[in-house]
Amino acid sequence: MSIVADFSAKRPTDPLLEIYLERRTNLVRFFAVRTGSITVAEDLAQELYVKLATRDPSVTAENPVALIYRIATNVMLDRARGDARSVARETAWRVIAHDTIGGDDVADQAPADDVAASRQRLRQLVEAVAELPPQMQRAFRLHKLEGRSHADTARVMGISVKSVEKHISAALKALTARLGR
Amino acid sequence: MVQAWRNGDDARREDAAAWVVRLEAGDLTDAEAVAFDGWLSAGPENALAFDAAMSVSQAYAAAGDAVTLELGARRSPPPAYGRRAVMGVGAMAAAAALAVVIAPQLVTADTQTYVTAKGERRTVQLADGSTIDLNGGTRLSVTLDRDMRRVSLDQGQAVFDVAHAPDRPFTIAVGDRTVRVVGTQFDVRRLEGKLSVTVARGAVEVRPAAGAAGRAYRLHPGQRLDHQEGATIAQIAPATAEEVLGWRQGRMVYREQPLSEVVADLNQQFATPIRIEDAALARTPISGVLIIDDQASVIQRLALLVPIRAVRSDAGVVLRRDVASDR
Repeated sequence: MSIVADFSAKRPTDPLLEIYLERRTNLVRFFAVRTGSITVAEDLAQELYVKLATRDPSVTAENPVALIYRIATNVMLDRARGDARSVARETAWRVIAHDTIGGDDVADQAPADDVAASRQRLRQLVEAVAELPPQMQRAFRLHKLEGRSHADTARVMGISVKSVEKHISAALKALTARLGR
Repeated sequence: MVQAWRNGDDARREDAAAWVVRLEAGDLTDAEAVAFDGWLSAGPENALAFDAAMSVSQAYAAAGDAVTLELGARRSPPPAYGRRAVMGVGAMAAAAALAVVIAPQLVTADTQTYVTAKGERRTVQLADGSTIDLNGGTRLSVTLDRDMRRVSLDQGQAVFDVAHAPDRPFTIAVGDRTVRVVGTQFDVRRLEGKLSVTVARGAVEVRPAAGAAGRAYRLHPGQRLDHQEGATIAQIAPATAEEVLGWRQGRMVYREQPLSEVVADLNQQFATPIRIEDAALARTPISGVLIIDDQASVIQRLALLVPIRAVRSDAGVVLRRDVASDR
């Protein structure tokens, strides 16, 4: 009897926390794609947990998953507005250099120790983009390489935002097929 | 076989890239967040594909300047952005807001609702070349727009024969699940909170609707998914599609299905409701073929499959366990 009681006492009784724990890795990925850093993403996931655990429990939502993602977005905006961008640029190199990203933290290494390997990698990136069909390439360059928003890219290309998004995801698919493994 | 796997990987890569781009844009709706979460949870392969796409995307974000420089040195045509690019942020934000406002109106422009009476069967030909066979007592609505084909099956049963159009996904909202079609023929039913999807040709994906819990499944020919609305889980079982789709020829085929399900089907065919007296009887598994003509004959033939006796009253027909013929 006491074992059962102990066990249940350890479990989070808040359904929102249960949902969070089930989806923790998904949320880390959600943060990682936005901040460009696994380390920052893990921090944010932790912060999100604290926020969920300390929130007013009487506030419920008809859609708890959507609510968690909404709070996650706020956590990220609250904290990462300025910094994340610079951290992202720096850490992303580490991420790609290690070629693994899911789950495992990326070790604290100086990015691009090996200049030759870095050159080689850059050449691969350039070649892969150069081979994209023209419209796809243009959208990808404007957005990803020059850092324009989707709306801005759409304006420059004279096409809809939706088409821009399609071009960019088609480009990313092609690039991943070529570069990723 | 190898080809099929390759296609699966390719589709996954496409989904992964689309999600990375969607998430990076940062304006995720609630529905998208839930869909993203469901997709990621659907299997470790999806998570791996996502990581690969994210990693490539971030490599380019990090090396943007260097890559641009190198590309420029290769005399590839420079993007010809003119003075429009210098337009103020305010104007851009306004344009973006406008796009958001306009889009939903385009989407809801053209929704058709189709309803069949009990016992009525009907074939609907859609503008995109797809056909839908509606069984009796079915209500569904169809929205066709430029890059999306959507059906909402509120109640009943239908066979979908979907015209292949990869850039215009075909989705069916049914209760707390969404069926995403990959190009194909299949049967979907929703009766009394019970959902079933059976695939005859091609493949479909069944995933929890926004807000519903559970994982996504990809169904192949000869597979049937059963799901009780509100539950997180779903069962996948082998099924013979010609049998499941047989209702279009007025023939219902059952293999070990509970009597309650048979009765639910019959209640879509006849105006007089049939009720089962006790829960244990309702669970009795039924195997056999029922030809659907008139209600009395159908019940008579049903009595050959299971020991029942039909009692008629003003409220309808009640099925009772026939003690005399108990086997």
